[in-house]
Amino acid sequence: MTKKGFLFLVLIAFMAVALVVGGCAEEGAAPETEPENGEETEGEGPVEDKDVLVFGGARSLTGPLAIQDESCFGPVYRMWADEVNARGGIYVEEYGKQLPVELKIYDDTSDMGTMTRLLEKLMVEDQVDFLLAPISTAFLHAAAPICNEHGYLLMGAEGGAKELEPMMAGLPYFFSVLNYATHQVPALVDMLVENEIESVAIIFIADQHGIEYSGDTIPLLEMNGIDVAFSKSVPLGIDDMSALINEAKEADVDAVLCYAYPDENFLMVGQSIEMDFNPDMMLFGPGVCFEVFHDIFGPATEGVMGWGAWNEKSSPEAADLVQRITEHEGSRNIDWWGQVPYYAGLQILEQAIEMSGTIDHEVLKDVIATEKFDTVMGEVWFENGGIPAECYPGQIGQWQNGIFEVVAPADQATAEPIIPKPAWPGQ
Amino acid sequence: MNLKTIKDNRYFYPALYILILVLFIAMPYITAPYTIILLSSIFMYVALTLSWTLFSGPTGYTSLATAAFFGLGLYMAGILGDSVPLIVAVICGGLISFVLAFIIGAITLRLRGIYFTIFTFGLVELIKHLMLWWEINIVGVRGRFVPRADNATVFYILLAILVALLLTTYFLKSSRYGMALSSIGSNEEAAIHIGINVVNLKIITFASSAFFIGMTGTIMATRWSYIDPYIAFDTFYSFLPPLMAIFGGLGNLFGPLLGAAVFSYLQETLITRFPYSYMLIFGLIMVITILYLPNGLIGLYQIIRQRFIGGKHADTSS
Amino acid sequence: MHAGYLNGPAAVEPGIVSGSCRHMKVACRLYNARTGVDYMTSIINILVNGLILGGIYALTSVGLSMQYGVARIFNIAHGEFIMVGAFITWMLYTSLGVNPLICLAVAGPILFILGFIIHRYMFKTLKDKIPSPAAFEGNSMLLAFGIMFVIQSIAIYLWGTSIKGYNYMAYSVYLGDIRFSANRLLILFFALVLCGLFYLFLTRTRPGKAIRAAAQDPEAASLMGVDINKMLALCFALGAMMAGFAGVLLSMAYQLQTNMGLPYTIIAIIVVVLGGLGSIPGSMLGGFILGIIGSIVNTIDPGLTLAAYYLLFMILLLVRPSGILGR
Repeated sequence: MTKKGFLFLVLIAFMAVALVVGGCAEEGAAPETEPENGEETEGEGPVEDKDVLVFGGARSLTGPLAIQDESCFGPVYRMWADEVNARGGIYVEEYGKQLPVELKIYDDTSDMGTMTRLLEKLMVEDQVDFLLAPISTAFLHAAAPICNEHGYLLMGAEGGAKELEPMMAGLPYFFSVLNYATHQVPALVDMLVENEIESVAIIFIADQHGIEYSGDTIPLLEMNGIDVAFSKSVPLGIDDMSALINEAKEADVDAVLCYAYPDENFLMVGQSIEMDFNPDMMLFGPGVCFEVFHDIFGPATEGVMGWGAWNEKSSPEAADLVQRITEHEGSRNIDWWGQVPYYAGLQILEQAIEMSGTIDHEVLKDVIATEKFDTVMGEVWFENGGIPAECYPGQIGQWQNGIFEVVAPADQATAEPIIPKPAWPGQ
Repeated sequence: MNLKTIKDNRYFYPALYILILVLFIAMPYITAPYTIILLSSIFMYVALTLSWTLFSGPTGYTSLATAAFFGLGLYMAGILGDSVPLIVAVICGGLISFVLAFIIGAITLRLRGIYFTIFTFGLVELIKHLMLWWEINIVGVRGRFVPRADNATVFYILLAILVALLLTTYFLKSSRYGMALSSIGSNEEAAIHIGINVVNLKIITFASSAFFIGMTGTIMATRWSYIDPYIAFDTFYSFLPPLMAIFGGLGNLFGPLLGAAVFSYLQETLITRFPYSYMLIFGLIMVITILYLPNGLIGLYQIIRQRFIGGKHADTSS
Repeated sequence: MHAGYLNGPAAVEPGIVSGSCRHMKVACRLYNARTGVDYMTSIINILVNGLILGGIYALTSVGLSMQYGVARIFNIAHGEFIMVGAFITWMLYTSLGVNPLICLAVAGPILFILGFIIHRYMFKTLKDKIPSPAAFEGNSMLLAFGIMFVIQSIAIYLWGTSIKGYNYMAYSVYLGDIRFSANRLLILFFALVLCGLFYLFLTRTRPGKAIRAAAQDPEAASLMGVDINKMLALCFALGAMMAGFAGVLLSMAYQLQTNMGLPYTIIAIIVVVLGGLGSIPGSMLGGFILGIIGSIVNTIDPGLTLAAYYLLFMILLLVRPSGILGR
């Protein structure tokens, strides 16, 4: 036996193990499919016993979307599952007992084909009890019709649902949880009008997110007589914003609205500091609402605005949530935009199960669509599959003294907006 | 041995293949629903890999344009939507890829080796960004919804594509065109002298391979249900076919087939069983395979055969 | 404030550049009436941005050019070395407060050793098994692909997938009337110095000459007593080290993520092909050309920047496959 022979055996063993494990997956799944057939023939018979509620999700653990699992919904669902289990589980009347929650997470590698396939695997083969939403607006748009086809509830997470709005009537199983352009842009334009902003420059990412927001903003601005100096798309992965900054400087705009993703937003902030570009107002898409934004830019965050928003002052429940996430994560891994709605989404599902006493999605969808729920963001209900704007703790946030203050709409604000924004430090 | 006489019968292999085909046709009626979905996905990878091998295998030109043709196919489904029957959309998806590949083939005649590879790689990114700019600034759409088709339809269409692809590969391989094509790989100048128009043959083969890739894209789009340029033109789909083909072993029709099937099944297993260490295990398997199995899985099979059946004095080093 | 800006008319073109006539805007802008000073400032700005961007591109590609030119390894994992370099800097800066420039001296050797080990135990093994150069090129690319997966997954274990970064020298400095961002100017300076030193090393020192000899004629070099395998490993390691330097410098101006590598690899591939595979001055030139073109297109329509890169790249491949300075 030479070295080569040995390595060869290792390789064979390695592959054999992988294949056997795969085979086990198949075998393990096989018995599960049989009761499904049995169930159908039994019809209205007594529900079989259950020991655990499985929440399955095709989440991007690797690839470009993976940042969101770690920074947005990820900390929330992991903490929620632990909390529910610490309480002993969710009480389901039809089983007459509390059922603990088990997470079953697959990695979709940020690939659409893999995501849709895994979603179907979760529903058809694993027959999980509930689904967690996949990451990103585009994936949500793909997942909503698929889940609807299989009669599975889907509570949205990271991603808007602008384009799904006209289809909502045909998607009774999909509920959009996060606030997006429809909720946020009117609040933004009100604030711009109120603060006498006369011209804006819009930079948007060449993606659903960017078009959703710029498409909603431009007509509203024109209606209110605010001049749009320019509106330009940037591709994902752009590595220099200085041309846009120079153009905005030349146009002497009062406000810059940057509807991009964390990478581009952070780059834009960084280059604005470097080039001392400081309009009266700067607003950015996702990324600015992360606590890590403040960790990176420190005092330079003062006056920077972003979509959101909530903070510890929003309500005692929100303050409590911050503390719990911080404890569970071991760091202040907070997303000041989505984590309250995401948590509320899970609470809604939990309460709907307890209210109706069943895990039948057909019943649950009607309960969620009609009932009102008491959640971390107060009383919440759904209208046409989405949460009305007034339920959210805020739409726009601004960094002030290291706190992401809610500044719009005015009645939910935790602080007055600082416009014009102060100069970058150190200039 | 008894088995040997059966295997020597000239009807054995055709009969075996027909049996396998019948088995696949019966699949949707006899298996669990997810098996069909998983098989469709495996078929997709097999089709992509075999299409890639159709051109790149014999010629030695490593193409990284698969994602471009696949993406065009996907987009065709998004653009045509419900307006035509699915089967027509699939053929349109194949045709548009065919046309693009024809043009690309014609203008890249001069490029050899790594330059052809890099050119095809750039093609995917160029189409992605042009498409993105076009969709956003001219058409003004975000992404496109694709009407969903049911699992069995997708499965059968993919099966049909695969059978057509296998037949094409088989007949090409056994014809004199196949010989000419593989002579490109070894010595292009000599190939020109045997009297076959190598240039045309090269372009046509490249375009045919794109035709199958495009069709696969269109049919898969109905499973994906929503596409945008980033999703459709993902560079990853360019790298997978050569990876899978080399994993299986080039130079044999069954190498790429086996490679794609095992590779995609392995990936499925890893992302569902070990989602948090999928990347590491997958990377290690890739490294080890390329280092210790330069001839792929087929090579492994041959080595095992030699070790355990072929006798004591077999030399395993290739 | 811009000196030229103060002299120019206040709002030059508010009506023309609106969202609704975006496509006309390119033409409008080019023919727009401006004062001469204003125009000059724009051109200088474009050039300055282009040079800075070009410096970054050059720095990220020199290592890849080296690895391909000499060792014939098309290293898809190149960007991962950049990522590792950047994360080492981030860790040292945020936890210990080490100056990023000192991190050059830390990250460089670490990546050199990493590169050496990877070549010694992987690419050399592959080379021994596959004597044919064409087959080696294909297989080495796939091997690099596997290595990319392994490095990235280890990085995810260590650093997670969320965004990281720090602020260093983020302010502007003036040279005459022209504004530079301090950290990017520093990157440009170090990019030029490092690439220059690297070039001098290859042309003026003994090991450098041995590497070049190994690249041009391996057999003759080995007859002359050059240990080819050692040279190839050295060369791969140097490439990884340059990538590490690039990572260190980039982390001053860009945010970090564990999946940041691949886009840099892609840009590096374009630059390397543009300049000529294996030519170090070619890569530098290619980097600057790409940077300036990127800067010009950014000014016209940033949505087309990446498309323009690829178009340029493909046209060049067709017209002159060996690159601008290729042999």
